Amino acid sequence: MKTTLFVMLKGPHESCDLDLMERIAGDEDKAALLFEDAVYYSVMPGRAKELKRRLDDVYVISDDLQARGVDDRLIDGFQVVDYPKAVDLIMEGYDQTITL
Amino acid sequence: MGTLIIQIRSGTMMNMDVNVMVKLAEAAVEKGHDVKIFGYGEGIMAIKEGQEPKRFPNVGKSLEELAKKGVETSVCETCAYARGVKRGEEIEGASVGSLTNNLSVMVSEGDRMITLAR
Repeated sequence: MKTTLFVMLKGPHESCDLDLMERIAGDEDKAALLFEDAVYYSVMPGRAKELKRRLDDVYVISDDLQARGVDDRLIDGFQVVDYPKAVDLIMEGYDQTITL
Repeated sequence: MGTLIIQIRSGTMMNMDVNVMVKLAEAAVEKGHDVKIFGYGEGIMAIKEGQEPKRFPNVGKSLEELAKKGVETSVCETCAYARGVKRGEEIEGASVGSLTNNLSVMVSEGDRMITLAR
């Protein structure tokens, strides 16, 4: 079964069709890697639930959490990663990477 | 080891996309991957020589350092000329290329591609 890593940059208040992930990857294993304002998904309970229910795993870039001063508000179920780990996820962790 | 393609479509002072680009490229090179960067639209400004941001990271300097480590950076010629950036105004190690000669080859040869855009 193919696995897909979605790269997200936009925050919860910007336009992003989360259903697109299900339309693209269906029932396949899928995860998201959150950069920049997309890290806000990991600290907003309602938005976090919306995202997590669509995915098997969600990773959050530590630098961007810290830059926004919200690293102490992380919701359970999100995995904080640094850039070296992000490279591993992109290059080896999944069969394909799609930027939303 | 594989090849990571990063397409940058945001300008240097628009948002943090260029910083993500630099950090991803640095981490990928450190891990032994090949990295190729292509600038499209406002993303072409990353290779303009003479960048002197006062309070922000100097993306041009970062790309010059990455070029020394083998990172290939090229940008869309049409986008560059439209913004008044000509051949010869690139930072060291970068080039004004084209969609057909650079991006299409990168995409065909790369293992993964990340697009940083707004």
